[in-house]
Amino acid sequence: MKFSLNFIQEFLKVNLPPEQLAKKLTMAGMEVEGFEKSGSDWIFNIEVTTNRHDWLSIAGIAQEIAAILGKNLRIKSPQDKKQPLLLERKVIIESNQDCSYYLGRSIKGVNIGPGSQKIQSLVVNCGLASINNVVDITNYCMLKWGNPLHAFDQDKLEGNIYVRRAKKNEFFIGIDGKERVLDKENLVIADSKKIIALAGVIGSKNTEVDDSTKNIFLEAAIFSPLTVRRSRRRAGVDTESSYRFERRVSPEYLEFASQEATRLIKEIAGGVLKGVTKAGQKPKISPKKINISLNGLETYLGVKVPEEKFKTIIASLGFKFQAKAKGQYLLFPPLQRFDLIREVDVYEEVSRIYGYEKIPPQIPFLRKAMDSRVVDRGKDIYRFNSELADYLARLGFKEIISYSLQGREELGSNSTLLGIEIINPLRKQENSLRFSLLTGMIKSLGHNLNRSQSGLQFFEVAHIYLNDRKGFSELPALALGRSGKEDEFFLLKGAVEKVLQYASVQIFEFREEKLPFFSDGLTILSKGKVLGFLGKLDQETVKRFSLKEDLFFAQLNLEELAKISGEKRYKPISPYPAVWRDISIALKKQVSFKEVEEVIKARCKHLVDLRIVGFYQGKNIPAQTTAFTLRIFYQSTDKTLTAQEVDIFHNDARQALSQIKGLELR
Amino acid sequence: MEQELKKLKEDFERDLAEAKSGTELETLKVKYLGRNSRLAELFSQIPALSGDQRSFWGRRLNQVKKDLAAAWEKATGSTDGQQESLDVTFPSSAVNSGSRHIISSTSQKICLIFQKLGFDIVEGNEIEDEQHNFEALNIPLEHPSRDAFDTFYLNLAEKNNGKYLLRSHTSPSQIRVMQKNKPPLAVISPGRVYRPDVVDATHSFMFHQIEGFAVDTEINFSQLKGVLLCFAREFFSQDVNLRFRPHFFPFTEPSAEVDVSCIICKGQGSKTKTQGKRCSVCKGKGWLEILGCGMIHPKVLEACAIDSKKYRGFAFGMGVERIAMLKYGIDDIRLFYENDLRFLEQFSL
Repeated sequence: MKFSLNFIQEFLKVNLPPEQLAKKLTMAGMEVEGFEKSGSDWIFNIEVTTNRHDWLSIAGIAQEIAAILGKNLRIKSPQDKKQPLLLERKVIIESNQDCSYYLGRSIKGVNIGPGSQKIQSLVVNCGLASINNVVDITNYCMLKWGNPLHAFDQDKLEGNIYVRRAKKNEFFIGIDGKERVLDKENLVIADSKKIIALAGVIGSKNTEVDDSTKNIFLEAAIFSPLTVRRSRRRAGVDTESSYRFERRVSPEYLEFASQEATRLIKEIAGGVLKGVTKAGQKPKISPKKINISLNGLETYLGVKVPEEKFKTIIASLGFKFQAKAKGQYLLFPPLQRFDLIREVDVYEEVSRIYGYEKIPPQIPFLRKAMDSRVVDRGKDIYRFNSELADYLARLGFKEIISYSLQGREELGSNSTLLGIEIINPLRKQENSLRFSLLTGMIKSLGHNLNRSQSGLQFFEVAHIYLNDRKGFSELPALALGRSGKEDEFFLLKGAVEKVLQYASVQIFEFREEKLPFFSDGLTILSKGKVLGFLGKLDQETVKRFSLKEDLFFAQLNLEELAKISGEKRYKPISPYPAVWRDISIALKKQVSFKEVEEVIKARCKHLVDLRIVGFYQGKNIPAQTTAFTLRIFYQSTDKTLTAQEVDIFHNDARQALSQIKGLELR
Repeated sequence: MEQELKKLKEDFERDLAEAKSGTELETLKVKYLGRNSRLAELFSQIPALSGDQRSFWGRRLNQVKKDLAAAWEKATGSTDGQQESLDVTFPSSAVNSGSRHIISSTSQKICLIFQKLGFDIVEGNEIEDEQHNFEALNIPLEHPSRDAFDTFYLNLAEKNNGKYLLRSHTSPSQIRVMQKNKPPLAVISPGRVYRPDVVDATHSFMFHQIEGFAVDTEINFSQLKGVLLCFAREFFSQDVNLRFRPHFFPFTEPSAEVDVSCIICKGQGSKTKTQGKRCSVCKGKGWLEILGCGMIHPKVLEACAIDSKKYRGFAFGMGVERIAMLKYGIDDIRLFYENDLRFLEQFSL
């Protein structure tokens, strides 16, 4: 909200230079976002937090500045003057839930014109446009007291005034010239023929005050904050008036605003007050009582506010108070402050005016129960995940962070896998939660491949979101991605093994499986539980994302992995040397390496490791055949193996291998 | 077989004597020791032999192989008299290194500082409900205070706790922990949060926050200041200061926004040594806003069935992107999620 310093001066003399004032206001919680000079005036732009509806008025801001400057400002509430009743026009409120009180004044014989320069400049300096003398006066009074007013051209009104809900498809043109179709969410002001205002939001074009207006009907009312909020949202409009009603206007100054506007219209635009009409009940604000002990204040803040200082602060904020027992006070908050309800509200008021900077910093001793179960050491998933991420960085993978939202059909519209849908997405590209970390990996790798990078190695630790028959779930997952050529698959497989080894998972297996979006896939299992998968992205998906290299991808369920992750135990290292033997094999495509591995594992006693030491290509290797040399390591934990011993089971294995159809020993 | 071996050895020695260059030696190695060599051919005959013969010839062939290899090694050593020197001025080869992402490492660093002060680290879920994201935090339905928290809603069947949504802040973690555990509590909770903000240099629909809170019988505002000052000095540097400005949050009372003295101009603003030049990071203000905090509103404690007469707490929340941007001088939030190698590699942590 913008306020003019000259406007403030109507209530309170402020002699401080604007820079100093801005700093003081900011440090007391009224954040000044900027200030500038305008003629003889200074304009301050402040942030009004949702609890301080009273700062939407100059009166409220003046009260606050008074407190900050340590001055006393008493704004007296007005007396209801005896005034003639308006008999020709009644006001009928359909529901007092929507509108508790409506006050109308009839002023006749006005002359519309430019009006007073002083009022014009105050209104403009507070960020509103100057329209004409009458509208400027209603705005001036709204700014001053916080109660929005509206002036209708009385000659355009037909019959009584109704405060009612709009009917479905009722039509409305606001003074902003925009046409709107209303429904029962909208509260309107109507006469017996037509809608004349969107209540508390904006007036209608059909009853607008213009140059030829002679007679005025001046509205002041209390509308329900929620009704106005829903109505203006439905109508897609936000005005100075609705902004105030939504944050609740005080009935305290309502009469003031209406009376002052009437007086100013008479003075500036001429005319006579013909009568007053009222409907509903002006809401009675029951004065609240808050018991405060200075001791309570001190233990809450950690600083002792001197008693005299305390009294000065609450008095300057407009509290009334009674001293009770020693250090005990009964406080009556100012009526126009709805936000002061309990002790803590007073603690805040006192501390911010006293100054947060006067509260000394202290380091607490944080007590914790010995059997605190906030974090169960064994299931500390945060620690598990962040240490795993550190490990992957050591393995040479770069961590990425990609968006959790993706297009629902990004991986293809006929996919059976669809993410949880977002009801109000910003764009189609981000209209669902991802069920896999795949798209984030593809996009991050793709971004770099398009920038002449290659052979990339990324990982991400993030949540995935699943929606299945059991309902929805959210799981921590690890994604590994490598871009490059065919054999990168095995590097990725090796990385997966490293991760399993890191987590001390002793027993696991890879199972060949057809996975969606992958052409060659493996499921990773441990004791029958699926831990994740890895695979080569199929060509369809590679094309869909225009990737310049093949992508190898693995994903692991970290909740499951953390669960089965074992403790590290030392395993004795054999003091006896390892012996190795090579076998060169040519394997037809229809035979899988797994068969070779199974034979070797079954036949070779003392087997500790087997590695591929080379793949061969050339004229001598037939088509559809993979030729390679396998190096088998033998080692015993209790003796040195002799060459003869090893040769026995090694040759036995060779023998068995040579029996496999489609396998040739070379 | 023995004869064949003899011939093989002779041929080898002759060829070896004639070989002059390194390339010739390499060819020789393939010819006599390679996969298709005569020696390999002999090896392949072994499995067909009977037991005794097999082990005898096995050893014999291995011995020959060793001899040939040794002779070849020796020969290469002597021809390498004119060993080519390395042109060490060639550029280095690429060395691949892994790294943590700057956001996760920043978040981790922050969490570990609080852990040292006695906080437990607990992660919450990103799919939340209205009860935990709003109501329990004293943000009532359709109240203007909700306007500050635009939220993505999810198409999931509603249960007792209102509509499902993507949490718009990490504060629901606070509620979850307080509902499940009895005080005393001291918890720090990092994670992703979501708001429907159109992406630009300073906005993103996904970002990271860290929430922290402590609840006990003697907690006070002065301790909140102490804990945060301690964090700021540990994270930025020992000479930074904090400024607490009163503010409003529905879930704390009193509430404050916290500024750190500018880490670039050391809080000097425009009065830098280079006289009159305005600091571009803090825009000459000398202060940078880094977090929001306050004493937990008694209504929030009550919503978690904690006796607000007996217990009090403080809470704070900060945006990880903002802090990383300030600390490392990053001017566009989109860089964090693009994962450009040239960006990632600058923070090989």
